[in-house]
Formats: sequence, structure tokens, C-alpha cells
Amino acid sequence: MTISTRFEMPPEKERLYAKATRLEWITLIYLSSAVFFIYLTMGSSQAMKAAWLEDLLSLTPSAAFLVAARFRNRPPNEKFPYGFHRSISIAFLCASVALTLMGIFILFDSVMKLISFEHPSIGTVQPFGQPIWLGWFMLPALLWSAIPAAILGRVKLPLAAQLHDKVLHADAKMNKADWLTASAAMVGVIGIGLGLWWLDPIAAIVISVDILHDGWENLRAVISDLMDSRPQSVDHSSVDPLMARVENELLAMPWVREARVRLREEGHVYFGEAVVVPSRQDGLVENIKRAQEHLRSLDWKLHEIVIMPVTDLQHDELVRDEANSLRAPSS
Amino acid sequence: MKLPLIAAATVVLLTGACGMPRDPEGTLDRVRGGTMRVGVTTADPFVVMEGDEPSGGVEVKLVEELAAELDAEIEWFHGSQEELFAALEVRELDLVIGGFTRTNPWSSKVALTHPYLTTFIGVGVPDQEDVGEDISGTVVAVEAGTVAAGLLKETDAEVVRVDDIATAEGAAAVENWLFDNLELYDTRVRLTESDHVMAVQVGENAWLTTVERFLLERHERIEELLEEEGTL
Repeated sequence: MTISTRFEMPPEKERLYAKATRLEWITLIYLSSAVFFIYLTMGSSQAMKAAWLEDLLSLTPSAAFLVAARFRNRPPNEKFPYGFHRSISIAFLCASVALTLMGIFILFDSVMKLISFEHPSIGTVQPFGQPIWLGWFMLPALLWSAIPAAILGRVKLPLAAQLHDKVLHADAKMNKADWLTASAAMVGVIGIGLGLWWLDPIAAIVISVDILHDGWENLRAVISDLMDSRPQSVDHSSVDPLMARVENELLAMPWVREARVRLREEGHVYFGEAVVVPSRQDGLVENIKRAQEHLRSLDWKLHEIVIMPVTDLQHDELVRDEANSLRAPSS
Repeated sequence: MKLPLIAAATVVLLTGACGMPRDPEGTLDRVRGGTMRVGVTTADPFVVMEGDEPSGGVEVKLVEELAAELDAEIEWFHGSQEELFAALEVRELDLVIGGFTRTNPWSSKVALTHPYLTTFIGVGVPDQEDVGEDISGTVVAVEAGTVAAGLLKETDAEVVRVDDIATAEGAAAVENWLFDNLELYDTRVRLTESDHVMAVQVGENAWLTTVERFLLERHERIEELLEEEGTL
């Protein structure tokens, strides 16, 4: 069989990846500071609590990316013959579950606060010897959590597509949306200031719905990856045309009569098999070798493809018919 | 689109942000030039009662000064801590005093002010030469049935429980305001510290910050009051 090469990406992509890694370190450090400032000024505002948890959880994709960056290029070994490309999906699954559960928790907590008419109290602090209303410190803390995040998100989004990195994509999207969270929390805090106590839990509900939405989308995406769905674009909006292209390339070869291809994603790259019915047997091994080289040169993402010659695709059809007959009760 | 809407709402709210914070239920506006409903529960030397009316105490005096500043009449309500906090929770009172500290378990149902004073229970000795941080083996008097007695038990001091600390001789574990009164020197051995707060209605942030501001701007006055009131 073909042994996987260790390195995933061509040199120019590795350079982009190094840039993404730098950006993720910046994100991690910056977000930690935002989490710290919001915690300092949180008081008893529900919206601040929601914004704080949102920021805290949005650390996880950057952390997952950086952890995976250490593992992804590890060579395959006896125990893990497919290598470590999928480490990122596992990290991401955990993050998505945490995000979803936290979204549900904050939503529930905020709705309870709203229907029990719980008025948030925000008092005075005395950091420089002068008594100042704590709300005045919440607003700059929220601004700090919003503006740099939005910029980082915008910078990372195109990188994610170029690197076919779903964690980076989710992270960039969350950073970009952070400014929605922060603005909602600001509305909540100003609401408290104006004596409109209900604006605070409502802002928290808006934030929790956003967290829940993020969590749910990411969970769906990562489950579909772990279920070996056909390769998709990083935003899961479209099917990667590479699978069809590989099949067409094979069919265009003079020695191939029929071909069927399946691919699955392992982190950044694709692994897959092609079943081909050769039209002639002579030079088959050389033909397969050349086809393999050609296919791998189509796209860096096609990391490994195994080509299997068969006499016909009948078996495949048979299995499909059987499955259909099982599904449809005989009438 | 959600984003511009929220941005617009933020701007609108910011322009109305002057005079923040305000009260959802208008407590401060009602109290100013009106009546302040104050719950009191005995806590010497913070609240000293004579029948159903407070006769003195640090917090009673402070509340009287606050009322004068706000041009408000005070209506006193005497009760147990639980009665008063329950009434405060349902907005039948505006302020509750009684030597409460920041760790009060009612803190989720009512709003506690920023701590305005920190006191401690410490060990004092009659001789200045004996001042040191080591009290192991020292005979220390403490009033029976107090938190001081319970905490002293955990130290290496030899505990002597008395009914009235004023009659005790030698070293004693007492609240810091009693040191001068009992002619004791502070050994810097601290059994516990307390951050003193008052309690107001939850969510009435203009009222809360007004009380807090009043207290935080009177640090020296409060120390002075404690000196006056903190006697046996």
C-alpha cells in the first residue's frame, strides 16, 4: 500500500499555516486579556456573565488549532497508521459540545432571571480612591472584547479557506461575531444604567442564542466530518468538486473503463479509494502508479489515494440493491 | 440585519446615558425629600436599640446624616434580620442596617453596598512589652458564646471564657474598637476580619450608588463614630 507522507502541505501553504499559527497565538493572548477585564467588571449583570462565558469559550477553537498544529505533521506509526490528521476534529468536537451546553445553560438562566423579574444590582467601585459606578468600567471592557476580535476574525477567515482548516474557520467566525455579543452586552449594561433592568437578561438571551447557534453549527460540522461525509468546503456550504474531478480524470484515462471514487477528510487533507475496471490488463501496475501520481498532483489536499483494479463494479451495484430492498418493505 | 440595528440601539442608549445609573422603581426619587424606610436590628455598636426605636450606633448615626443630606424623614422598622431582609426583598423597606458584613447569606436576594469599613477581632495584651505575634500558651480571655471564642479555640492560646469581657484581666480577644476601651495593645494576631456593608433593595442602582458614595466619602467620619460608639 502507499505509505502516507508525513507532511500535509506544500511549502507555500506551510508559510500560510505559520501565519495562521501566529494569529492564533495572538488571539489566545488577546482573548485571555478580554476574559480577564470582563471578569473584573462583571458585577451581577447577566449580559456581562454571558459575554464573559462566550469569550472564555471562544478560547477553545484557538487552543484546539494550536494543539492540532503540534500533532498534525506527526508521522503515522504502527498504532495510528493513518497519522494524526484528525486530532483537530477531536479537539473541535469537545469545544463544540462545551459551546452548545453553555449556550443552553445561559439561555435557561437568563430566561429564569427575566421571568422572575430579577433586577440586577450594579454598585460602586473605588479603584482610584474615587467612587465610580461599575457600569462605566463594563463598557470599555466590552469594547476591548469586541473590536480587536472582529479584526482578527476578518484576517483569519480567508486563511481558513486557503488552508482548508475548519477549526480556523469556526474560530474566525466566532471572533467576527464577538462584536455582536459585546454590543448586545453593552445594550444590557446601559439598560441597567437607565433603569431598564429587563434589557440585561434580554441581551443575555440574545448572546446565549448566538452561542447556541455557534455550538450547534460547529457540532453538526464536526460530526459530519467524523462520520466521513464527502469532503466539503470549510464553511460546509458546498461539496468539494475534487471527488467528481478525480473520478472524471480516471475515466478520461484510456486504460480505464469504469471508475468509482470515495474520499474522506482527515483534518486538512483527503484520503480515499478509487475502484477501477481496467479495459486492458497489460501494464496495469504501471498505469495505476502513473494514475496515482497524476491524481495527487491535482490538489495538495489529496493526500493519499488507493487505486484498486476490479473486474466489474457489479458487486457495488449488488450491495446497493440489497440495501434498497432492506429499506423498502416488500409490498 | 442584526448588526446595524444593535449599533444604532447602542448609540441611542448612549446619548441617554447621562445620569446613569437610574432606578427601575424610582427609590432615590421617592426618598429624596420624602420618607426613607429603614429596617434596624440590634448590633452593638452599629445599631443600638431602646425599645422599638434606635438610640444610637455607628450605622444609625450614618443613616441619620444620609437622611439629612437627602432631606428625607426616616421611618424606623425594628425586626429580626430575616424579617427585615424578607421585607427588603419585596421592596417594603429601602435600607436595612444591623452590622452586616459582605459575607451575609442574603446577598443574592438584596443588594449589599460596597464595604465601607473593615473591622477585625484580634488579641490584645495589657502590657506593651508583650506585643508579639506569638500567643501560644498565653492565657486569653474571651466572651463566652461569641464567634471570637470559637475562633480563639483554634489557636494555641489558652482560652478562658468569661461572661463579661469588661471584667476580664490580662490578654483578651475582642473586636478592634474595644482595644482602647479595655486598655489593650494590639498583638496583630487577627482571628477574623469583617467588611461592613448596608443592605438596599436589589436593582435600585441610583439608590445603591447614592448610599455607597455617601459611605465611601466619609471614611474618617466613620472611624470617628466607631471610636465614639464602640464602648462597653
